[in-house]
Amino acid sequence: MYKLKEGTIKATRAIRDVWEDLPLATAATSSEELMSIPALLARNARHHGQRTAYREKEYGIWQSWTWAEVEAEVRAMALGLVVLGAKPGDHIAIIGRNRPALYWSFVAAQMVGAVPVPLYQDAVAEEMAYVLDHCGARFVIAEDQEQVDKVLDVQDRVLSIDHIAYHDPRGMRKYDHSHMNRLSDVKAEGRAAEQRLGPELDARIAALGYDDTCVMLYTSGTTGRPKGVVLSNRNIIETSKNTSDFDGLNVGDEVLAYLPMAWVGDFIFSIGQAYWTGFCVNCPENADTMQDDLREISPSYFFAPPRYFEGLLTQISIRMEDAGWLKRWMYQRAMSHARRVGPRLMDGAAVGLVDRLAYALGDFFVYGPVRNRAGMMNVRVGYTAGEAIGPEIFEFYRALGINLKQLYGQTEAAVFITQQPDGEVRADTVGVPSPGVEVRIADSGEVFYRSPGVFQEYYKNPDSTAGTKDAEGWVATGDAGFFEEATGHLRIIDRAKDVGKTASGSLFAPKYVENKLKFFPNILEAVVFGAGRETCTAFINIDLTAVGNWAERNNVAYGSYQELAAHPEVMAMVQDHVEETNRTLAEDTMLAACQIHRFLILHKELDADDGELTRTRKVRRRIIEEKYADLIAALYDGTSTVTTETEVTYEDGRKGSIRATLEVRDAAIVPVAGAKLAAE
Amino acid sequence: MNELAPDTYTTEDGRTIGPPVLEMRNITLRFGGVTAIKDISFDIREGEIRAIIGPNGAGKSSMLNIINGFYIPQEGEIWFRGSRRPPMKPYEVARQGIARTFQNIALFRGMSTLDNIMTGRTTMIRSSLFSQALWLGRAEREEIEHREAVEKVIDFLEIQHIRKTPVGRLPYGLQKRVELGRALAAEPKLLLLDEPMAGMNVEEKEDMSRFILDVNDEFGTTIALIEHDMGVVMDISDRVVVMDYGRKIGDGTPDEVRTNPEVIDAYLGVSHD
Amino acid sequence: MELIRKVLIDPWLDMVGAPDFFLQVIWEGLVSGVLYALIALGFVLIFRASRIFNFAQGIMVVFAALTLVGLHAAGLPAWLAFAGTLLVMFVLAVGIERIVLRPLVNQPDIILFMATIGITLFLVGGGEIIFGGENKQMISDELGIPDGSIELNPFDGFVLIEARDLTVVMGAIVMVALLLAFLTYSKMGRAVRALGDDHQAALSVGISLTTIWVLVWFIAGVIALFTGIAWGSRAGVSFALEIIALKALPVLMLGGLESITGAIVGGLMIGVLEKLFEIYWGQPLMGGSTEAWFAYVLALAVLLVRPQGLFGEKIIERV
Repeated sequence: MYKLKEGTIKATRAIRDVWEDLPLATAATSSEELMSIPALLARNARHHGQRTAYREKEYGIWQSWTWAEVEAEVRAMALGLVVLGAKPGDHIAIIGRNRPALYWSFVAAQMVGAVPVPLYQDAVAEEMAYVLDHCGARFVIAEDQEQVDKVLDVQDRVLSIDHIAYHDPRGMRKYDHSHMNRLSDVKAEGRAAEQRLGPELDARIAALGYDDTCVMLYTSGTTGRPKGVVLSNRNIIETSKNTSDFDGLNVGDEVLAYLPMAWVGDFIFSIGQAYWTGFCVNCPENADTMQDDLREISPSYFFAPPRYFEGLLTQISIRMEDAGWLKRWMYQRAMSHARRVGPRLMDGAAVGLVDRLAYALGDFFVYGPVRNRAGMMNVRVGYTAGEAIGPEIFEFYRALGINLKQLYGQTEAAVFITQQPDGEVRADTVGVPSPGVEVRIADSGEVFYRSPGVFQEYYKNPDSTAGTKDAEGWVATGDAGFFEEATGHLRIIDRAKDVGKTASGSLFAPKYVENKLKFFPNILEAVVFGAGRETCTAFINIDLTAVGNWAERNNVAYGSYQELAAHPEVMAMVQDHVEETNRTLAEDTMLAACQIHRFLILHKELDADDGELTRTRKVRRRIIEEKYADLIAALYDGTSTVTTETEVTYEDGRKGSIRATLEVRDAAIVPVAGAKLAAE
Repeated sequence: MNELAPDTYTTEDGRTIGPPVLEMRNITLRFGGVTAIKDISFDIREGEIRAIIGPNGAGKSSMLNIINGFYIPQEGEIWFRGSRRPPMKPYEVARQGIARTFQNIALFRGMSTLDNIMTGRTTMIRSSLFSQALWLGRAEREEIEHREAVEKVIDFLEIQHIRKTPVGRLPYGLQKRVELGRALAAEPKLLLLDEPMAGMNVEEKEDMSRFILDVNDEFGTTIALIEHDMGVVMDISDRVVVMDYGRKIGDGTPDEVRTNPEVIDAYLGVSHD
Repeated sequence: MELIRKVLIDPWLDMVGAPDFFLQVIWEGLVSGVLYALIALGFVLIFRASRIFNFAQGIMVVFAALTLVGLHAAGLPAWLAFAGTLLVMFVLAVGIERIVLRPLVNQPDIILFMATIGITLFLVGGGEIIFGGENKQMISDELGIPDGSIELNPFDGFVLIEARDLTVVMGAIVMVALLLAFLTYSKMGRAVRALGDDHQAALSVGISLTTIWVLVWFIAGVIALFTGIAWGSRAGVSFALEIIALKALPVLMLGGLESITGAIVGGLMIGVLEKLFEIYWGQPLMGGSTEAWFAYVLALAVLLVRPQGLFGEKIIERV
């Protein structure tokens, strides 16, 4: 009964795919004026009116909306905003997790001529106050009580806010509603005002130009205050068009929208490309059900950061460790075959008949079920970006028959700078320049690009704008990299400013080394030091899931992260990983000086709440250097233990402190093979 | 015995408190020669959160077991929604609209969260066994209806991600939440919570208090809860009964109870724990 | 040397040498196995709902078969006799709940187990008084169970499948499927499972013990009737049937007392293995009749390795 309903989505999709897998929706529309997202919405409602545009799982069932319904919803919301007094040029902040109603509020804001500004939903009040105040938000559209509370907390500091609308009414009954109401009420008022305000709204939509602002996204930069990146309709639509062509995205595709709405990637995938091609955006029930929802939707176009793929691989490996011997044996046999054959099959290389047959067999018994379990049964185009992905991890998914590729991008570029074409996928490059993008490498090694996606400006920050984008439109990425001569693919080494020199003048690329360390499942985070010093050293964070599982299997008792991190066998394990990393570093003469001489395992996990990581989980080097100065000193003064005390912030915002005595270890260094050069 | 509040009034935070749902009149319960509860009277009014507190062994759990029909008191009367309740079996009490949770979590461990909460709808069986066995139309419609009600509960308690997980595998805090869900699924007129925060850490306690307040607020459910720890309970209850050694030693608002000398004695003067 | 060859080599050669005969043996084993599984299912159901190890399950098979035959002998047409037997099984379930179980609620498990022995004795005595102790013919033709057989010719050989056995197997599959669907998807089924998991909690959500107990005993009665018809039509109806019902014990040891899958797989396993052993080892080496004890020895061997049975939940002592 109920079960059937859940299953029907897949069935109907299968049927639909047969007769409706239409090519791109481009030809018919080129004559129309598609100068804005609202214009794209109108086109989709006309051409794909009865196709599903959005789905959201609620009360255990996938609810869906067609493009025609979405247009009606968005229009009602926009009229409601006009009723509330929204004017062109206003900024409208949007806070919450991925939900159709919130996506619609982006487009509704654009319709009235306002600028939508999505905020990270896990932002603490302080960050939120800064952004709201900086953009001068007049309206806030919040998902639920939790987000409304945060806004109310900072409202005395953010005087621009006129009105708050919320989506989920739970717990909101007792709030003062004089400057607040429910989003559905905003829509209802909008609908009622169609007669009176409809013509005005139509005029505002018609007035939207190609170079008007489409959206403003705050970057959670690794240093300093967030900057508001202003992206125009041209930036978003041109980029969406080019990249949809690149991967053949079309109206039959499905995505799962689960990454933060404030992140440029989500904006491009779930709004830019979705509105350009008309594909369907699916929203999970909540953050915890994402995996189940992914499996049920089984998207054809999927994006996830490397961290996600790492975590998933860890889960699969743990599950296999716990499985019976037969299953384990089958899995291992099948995977070793897949690693050999799978990527070649995917790249269309020549593969023998026997290998093909064995792969087909493996697909039936192992790869298919694993792909299904991972919710990647139908992934046609998968991307990972943001950070380097471990080659082992990357190859694992390729081997399974998932077309996982890498791209390199930035908020300032409306995401795309380079990406990998099908058939040219490798773990260590980020691909060729995306269509319409020019890339050049400066003498310093820094990567520059120019494209239709290049942002307009940093809002109210002309200095930063000028410092990043030159008069000819070239933008500095801040990353150091080079083009491989043979393939024309770009390789990124590190942040340009982080690529430094050691005291002896050798190249020091900390992030490159950190990534190598993080490719070991047992290591979650690493921070390498060495700029201006004789030798390199490192802080290590162990991965509590992977190491905890190891501990459980080996009957190692531990009460906390700290205790597990200090365990001698864990120390030994990490030492092995560090020395293994040193060996691979030594193979590359340029980077041999980056070998880790000494390391320690930190007594706490680096945490965004403590300011040690950014919200996107990038290491904040400077803050860590200040905070753990005593530990860094110990890494360099030759002592074998160090006692320290660190302040921590708990999830509820309370503060506490941890005391610990840490062991500092020496790691073996591989001497650089001088003879190697001669031999070659 | 109680303050003479009007039949129906509105609290400071805008909730409506109605006439008594349940009245316990001169209840005495003995096990063999031991008197567990001695001549206790109190009432629970519609829409309120009523706490029964007391040190360990004060007779709180016995009181809950009487309300829910596990024990039949030797003396006294129980009045439910305006009429006197004859001695009843637990399942009959449940069908009258009284749902409960247990101190030591009593879930169906082998069943999924969803199935556990579905059992909460047992009291609402309407179609006959025969049509259920044959899976006929009406039973099917009912099943969907119940599932919808249960999904609302799941959504309310934010446990969508464990919908299909056997509850035996869940951590303690979530099990407590599922148990609350099962009780809520019955759409009870009176919800009994037996030490809902026992064994929880501070954060889990705060979450649970939030849910209890939300249940009361969103659905207007009348709640009676027992606790031996005064802390959190005093913050969320409208009125509190204090028991000690089977006797009632205090009854009133949290502030009244806190200043009651006998209560202070029971908690501070003589240690029972 | 000779013996070792007879034990370790010859049987396998025989199996490969005459694959059609081997299939025949497997089929025969499966048919018995299906019946063992059904009886075990009756045990499991009652155990899960009430923690009672129902010693009377075996005699219920005999009693149901006797009632059916008796009612028909008394002049009722077959279908009416069948309906009448269902009614009798229902009355029996209600009676057992009223007279035996209800007064014994909250007594130790052993007392309830003893009570089921009492029920057994009562049914044996009652059965004999009402229907007499002599062997009777099952009314299989009257019930419309087809006669005759189907011949298959795999491996150029030949396998004979009795239509009667085929009916039994198919009937059993339908019955198990219905039962599983009932337990999984219906509210009553959920209640049965709930009651097995936690008694107090089940009461507090409004599940009535009475209803569920009558229900599971009635289902056990229906299973008994089905088994009685199936076995009776092969071997006649007499109190000797009870011995066959006792085969459910090793099945339960293998499958665990609480697992439905365990009962089914355990039943089929024992049915097939004991038949294979009898034909290929028992008859040539021990002069046959190993079926009487093989199942128990097998169960014992399994218990030595896995005390919780093949499918039972692992018993973890928490410290």
